[in-house]
Amino acid sequence: MLWIALHLPLLSLESFAATLTGEQARSPLALVDAHLIATVNPAARALGVEPGQKRATALALAPDLLIGQADAVRDAAALTAIAHAALAFTPSVCLQPSHDPSRCADTVLLEVQTSLRYFGGHAKLLQRLRAAVAPLGHRVQAASAPTPLGAALLARGPRRVHASVAAEMQRALDGTPVWLLGPGREHWEALQGMGLATLADLRRLPRSGLARRFGQAMLADLDRAYGERPDPRVPIALPPRFESRLELFARADSTEQVLHAAGMLLARLAVWLAAQHAFVRGFVLAMQHEPRWRSDAQVPAQTLLAVSLAEPSRDAAHLQVLLRERLAQLQLPAPTLELRLAAREIVPGEAPSGELFPSAASEREGLVRLVERLQARLGAEHVQRLQAVHDHRPEYASATRPVDPARVGQRGAALAVPPAPLRPVWLLAPPEPLPERAAQPLLAGRALQLLSGPERIESGWWDHALAERDYFIAEDAEGALVWIYRARLPGREAAGWFLHGRFA
Amino acid sequence: MDRLPAALALQDLHPGLWLGHQLGRPRGDGVASSFAALDAQLPGGGWPRRTLTELLLPHPGVGEVRLLAPSLAAAQRGGRLVMLFDPPAQLSAWALAQLGLDVEQLLVVQTRTRVVPGSDSLWAFEQALRSGHVGALVAWLPPRLRAERLRRLQLAAQAHDGAAFVLREMAAAQRPSAAPLRLALRADGPDMLALRLLKRRGPPLESPIRLALPPVLSDAARQRRSAERTLQAPALSVATFVDLG
Repeated sequence: MLWIALHLPLLSLESFAATLTGEQARSPLALVDAHLIATVNPAARALGVEPGQKRATALALAPDLLIGQADAVRDAAALTAIAHAALAFTPSVCLQPSHDPSRCADTVLLEVQTSLRYFGGHAKLLQRLRAAVAPLGHRVQAASAPTPLGAALLARGPRRVHASVAAEMQRALDGTPVWLLGPGREHWEALQGMGLATLADLRRLPRSGLARRFGQAMLADLDRAYGERPDPRVPIALPPRFESRLELFARADSTEQVLHAAGMLLARLAVWLAAQHAFVRGFVLAMQHEPRWRSDAQVPAQTLLAVSLAEPSRDAAHLQVLLRERLAQLQLPAPTLELRLAAREIVPGEAPSGELFPSAASEREGLVRLVERLQARLGAEHVQRLQAVHDHRPEYASATRPVDPARVGQRGAALAVPPAPLRPVWLLAPPEPLPERAAQPLLAGRALQLLSGPERIESGWWDHALAERDYFIAEDAEGALVWIYRARLPGREAAGWFLHGRFA
Repeated sequence: MDRLPAALALQDLHPGLWLGHQLGRPRGDGVASSFAALDAQLPGGGWPRRTLTELLLPHPGVGEVRLLAPSLAAAQRGGRLVMLFDPPAQLSAWALAQLGLDVEQLLVVQTRTRVVPGSDSLWAFEQALRSGHVGALVAWLPPRLRAERLRRLQLAAQAHDGAAFVLREMAAAQRPSAAPLRLALRADGPDMLALRLLKRRGPPLESPIRLALPPVLSDAARQRRSAERTLQAPALSVATFVDLG
């Protein structure tokens, strides 16, 4: 057995920062629990704010300190995402429960003995594990040991040890400070008061006396950590559906303020997908509106933003780009306080292979993403493909359709092209009426010289857009060729000469 | 200096060096334009890759699409996509197919039909250049574009392995540009195009290049037209002669 423990020393602070906007997250932050400062970030510590101070003291020291409430549920959701990221590496993942019932667990344990060979050894596995949890934005301390509790203790300790055999782990644990057995434990202060510095000091004492003073539970923990007592763990299961929510710290009036928190939810979605070995074809971001704004019947309870993808993906960066473009166009009817992200339509699939050189498949994928990005920003109807229609009237012979990103780069049936006559590439819509002088059409005040024609096009009696025209190819004063027509029967269409196309 | 072998000329030291009377030698070959007279005058023997090529037009419709169509069609035959940004008028699918382009492999992006707040119309073009997944790009730029915006596009084009054309108004010829290759296009009679090389990596070219485009006119119409020209020309010379007398 080989366990890796991922300890998140700043879990509650980081999960709080995720609910802020980007620039707020960099300002001094502190979390209060029961009116006392519980955790502070380095920016706040630099101003002299310390854990254990009263709220008023902290505010006196740092007037622009952002104070949030510690929230065990919020921390648990963040830790669950870390556990999901770990589930992509091994099926046996569990959380190390906290000794203090009011505090959330902050350590994830993975049993990786059976996965080592697949991932190419312990060092490579650890590297990939770190890369997998990096998008979630937590500081992670990792340690390895043959027992789960041993790994958890080492991960909290001052030195990060990766011990693969029991003897090595026991040596490392012997040097571990006693206080790591956990704040919140019974007689925690007493242990320190007795002058016991390390776990080795504790183990040297007679067991019966220790059991009487500190209870059987602590001895049992010590034995489990050293591997002298079995420590069965129940692995967590991956939920079959993804839904994650995040309550914002301050109400967001515009969609830009939502973006930071939504990015965190998307990162959680991406790690859930990696653990599920699946891709997502679409997701829905629900922005819950504040109840007091909802008294107005016009304002709905929530705004839903559904984003669907042409190609299933689990690339958080790509999902975020699409969401950003869509959010930029959205106007919130009322401020929002809470975000929910749900995955729609999960597609199982193989993991994308890492490629050093671009291949046809990666190029197509890149192209699909480009088209999706353009469509998300410009609107689907402004990224078009052309379609040749069998109609003699030039204005009906070409149609533009919104392009389907999933079909980009696929060849269609070859068009049977009439060899002659060559048609103009540019068509003016609508045709531009030309002034006339001595029965000669004028373009930009100068006479056009007819070179070829007439070519009669007479069609469309069935759909009330009858065209009866004589087309000519003419040369303008500069020598460029234009396509002009004259309505054949005056009365049905406007009379006179019209410029319809340019031979580009 | 004398230790260098005599045969090693200065321009052989580095591909980025060339003498004033030579054409520049870009990395990799250019995209053949299929007009031999033009390829001979372009550094790299064709439209350059990974940079912008600027074409200046007096107005749309002088023959620019017929000039670019062979190189765009070559990109499509290589299995890559061609994207057009903000074409100045409606496109005729049949005309493009007649010029050898596959309309299925063609994407038209309209960026100016809708004003997106806080964004510029060049965003889409820049994204496509930067992605490097598109075979060839043609963009009709808005008039009076500032030089630094074009410079930004030129930097983005370095990721794009293929030809990228920007079409601008003729007045831009007076202003500096980041594009290493600039041409001014002018219609020169029916189915003829005159190209003036405004800027290239190489010696300046004084006389314009005349290219015969894929013909729109039938042979009979062209002959009739040239017959009219020859008829007009002697009449003029006679008139001049009379005036002098």
